[in-house]
Amino acid sequence: MPVDHKRINAPESAVPYKLFTKLNTESLKEQYQKAIRDGIRVDGRKPSEHRKIFLKTGIVAHAKGSAYIEQGNTKVVTSVFDPREIPNRTDYCLKGEIYCEFKFAPFSCPKRRLHQQDSQEKECSAIMKKALEAVVCREEFPNFQVDVYALVLHNDGSALSAAVTAAGVALASAGIPMFDIITSSTLAIQGEHSLFDPNFREELLSEIAIEKEHGVVILCVTSTHQQISHFHQTGNLQLNTITQSIDTLHNTCKEIVPVVQKCLVKSVLSVISES
Amino acid sequence: MDEQFRILHPIKYYRDHINNHIRPDGRELNKFRPVLVNIGSINTSDGSALAKVGDTTVICGIKAELCSPKVESPDQGFLIPNVELPPLCSSKFKPGPPSEEAQVVTQLLADIVKNSKCFDLKQLCICHEKLVWCLFADLICISYDGSLMDACVIALMGALKSVQLPLVDYDPAIDNKLVNEEQKNFVNIQGIPICTTFSMFDKNILYDPTQEEENLSSCTFNVVLMEDKLCSVHKPGGTPISEQNLMECIEVSKQRTNTICELIDIALKKNKT
Amino acid sequence: MLILSSEKTDNPARIERTYYLISENIRIDGREREDYRPMEIETDVVSHAFGSSRLRLANTDVLVAVKIEVDAPYPERPLEGKLEFFVDCSANATPEFEGRGGEELAVELSNCLSSAYRSEEVFNLKKLCIMKGRKCWKLYVDILLLEVGGNLFDAVSIAVKAALWNTQIPKIKSINVDGSNIDIQVCDDIFSCTKLDVTGAPLMVTVCKIGDKCIVDPNAAEEQCSVGAVVVAVSRGNICTISQTGTGSFHPDTFKSCLILGISVAQRLEDSLTETLGEIKANQDVGFLK
Repeated sequence: MPVDHKRINAPESAVPYKLFTKLNTESLKEQYQKAIRDGIRVDGRKPSEHRKIFLKTGIVAHAKGSAYIEQGNTKVVTSVFDPREIPNRTDYCLKGEIYCEFKFAPFSCPKRRLHQQDSQEKECSAIMKKALEAVVCREEFPNFQVDVYALVLHNDGSALSAAVTAAGVALASAGIPMFDIITSSTLAIQGEHSLFDPNFREELLSEIAIEKEHGVVILCVTSTHQQISHFHQTGNLQLNTITQSIDTLHNTCKEIVPVVQKCLVKSVLSVISES
Repeated sequence: MDEQFRILHPIKYYRDHINNHIRPDGRELNKFRPVLVNIGSINTSDGSALAKVGDTTVICGIKAELCSPKVESPDQGFLIPNVELPPLCSSKFKPGPPSEEAQVVTQLLADIVKNSKCFDLKQLCICHEKLVWCLFADLICISYDGSLMDACVIALMGALKSVQLPLVDYDPAIDNKLVNEEQKNFVNIQGIPICTTFSMFDKNILYDPTQEEENLSSCTFNVVLMEDKLCSVHKPGGTPISEQNLMECIEVSKQRTNTICELIDIALKKNKT
Repeated sequence: MLILSSEKTDNPARIERTYYLISENIRIDGREREDYRPMEIETDVVSHAFGSSRLRLANTDVLVAVKIEVDAPYPERPLEGKLEFFVDCSANATPEFEGRGGEELAVELSNCLSSAYRSEEVFNLKKLCIMKGRKCWKLYVDILLLEVGGNLFDAVSIAVKAALWNTQIPKIKSINVDGSNIDIQVCDDIFSCTKLDVTGAPLMVTVCKIGDKCIVDPNAAEEQCSVGAVVVAVSRGNICTISQTGTGSFHPDTFKSCLILGISVAQRLEDSLTETLGEIKANQDVGFLK
């Protein structure tokens, strides 16, 4: 591995101490049964219950628009900057572009993240980009790109959904022309259990095949037009389960809309009172 | 009109304000911005803190890992600070490898910790020559508005104060480690260095400058103190500063150091309860 | 009869024609909405790879090679081997790939593949374990896009499945453990290899929405007419990954009908692929690179 001269380098042999803790001898099935007992999850929620959302704009002082979202323990900061010329582009493009960068802070997950974007972060960036492209009026700024950054400070599940919702708020507060409000929600499925807005552990357990059917579904919805701006699924699911989850997730996304609206109204009011 | 004037003639705009002994954000020249400290809100890390100095926000998370020590210092662990200035925090930064400023701040922070001797690396040793702790202190700037060093030092020290390391049973004969997560101990901090940034604008000294003030000023320097003792003065170039002025700044920093230390203690107590 | 040249144009008349014809369940090249263009598939084309395949779907040309190495498993998953996808876009494949143009598409493709293969129900990585927590096989699946003529996701997924079907994993004769040193002896007989179980390997179907109808296997012109497409990865009748390409948004009902179409088409594709692969004899000596 090449040496990074731009940072202080750590010894290469460093390993997380979690690897040497007492081994968890429980089978995955038992672990999952612990995560949901008698229809109640570890944090006391019902399977269909969403965590409380806290949304705030204007977190980043010198950004055009920014938003901070707290969804349970998951904390994400997003910021949006003025449109700028697309670098290294010679031909004219009719529609503006959105550049998304999604990053986990090194300390945000149980395992330490590296400073460079890894493949999961790149995938999340791509999903975010596609989700946001459908709601931004890109023909309003041809030949320009808008930068959207998301930084996960604390990942306790559903980080991508939280980032998409917050990025929508940041774009709106930056005054970027948009068709609609965008909200997003995650669903973790394992066998007959469908857990809305999963936390980190639930998300992790749903990605492993304990039952035949398992998976994680992310849905991004535009609120007034009722359109799916992006849908992403992993795992192994039957068609029926997926169509059902689309409907239920759609409703959850609708429930988030008032929170977003309230936050945006608040930010507009504060701008008015300032001037 | 005010905004346009500010953009078109920033220096004149500032000079007009400062000649009347007031700064555009409403502060007097020798006033600091409010400081906010929050400790331990990120439980995926082994220690964390958020520091806010005015509109500058820095979050620090510390992750502990196990590794073998260097041959030349077999009884010392590692503390590796790293300051990240992501494009998220200001339009000044672009995606890619760390900017020059991030590298400077990282190195400065490492030097402060090392030279002030506020943190003894020997306490990170588990087994001589075999096993030590390595603390990765990652500092991320979320919002950039001047006096970055101040916020970084507060965040780092706050996070270090909240670090709890589990006990490790190590058998050097068979290289077997067992981590006992139920028993955790705080690390020892010998003292808390506090950094204060100043800027020179014409002949005036601005305390705790914002980003705009730093850009317009002829020189920016910072003073680091630990419990009334001077640790470092960092003044990279710019216009010269008189001894009298510097002594004055050091005196002011002394007072500020005490208040901020108290602030960190209060935040720490809040976290524990 | 309309003749479609291979060059891409934004000719409005042609777009309208495409729209009109699709609503009549006939396409410019005479297919129906659910029809594929003819495909050619070859396996075992790269002699130095452990498994390989080459697929030609009309103008789309893909070469897949599988390489195997011994590696240490991830500490958090000691029982599993590793599978990695790497997509390389030849600069000659399409004019857009010049410079770094193909990079985004390559990342999208490899992300989609790795998330489709992630589930244990789809592809069991535990079969690739040699010794728990210490050694495992690592499969590198290298995908080379030789020519792009639309419908890349489908073509790549078929070629990958065929290449994995063709892959031979060496048998292990003995393992010597000496402290932290592990010595692995591979069987001398090059013909005694194990084959991978690829019955669950997913096939991806891109369902393209044009007007209010959905089509599969769009050619380049049809891809231009549509604002968005859904990629459905199907394994044994279950969906293992859904992703979207393009920038458009979908109504939930349209989305669901896309999924239904995707599954039924994938099933047909799966059947004909299994049949075709079954016809390939072992140790054939024809192939475009041999």
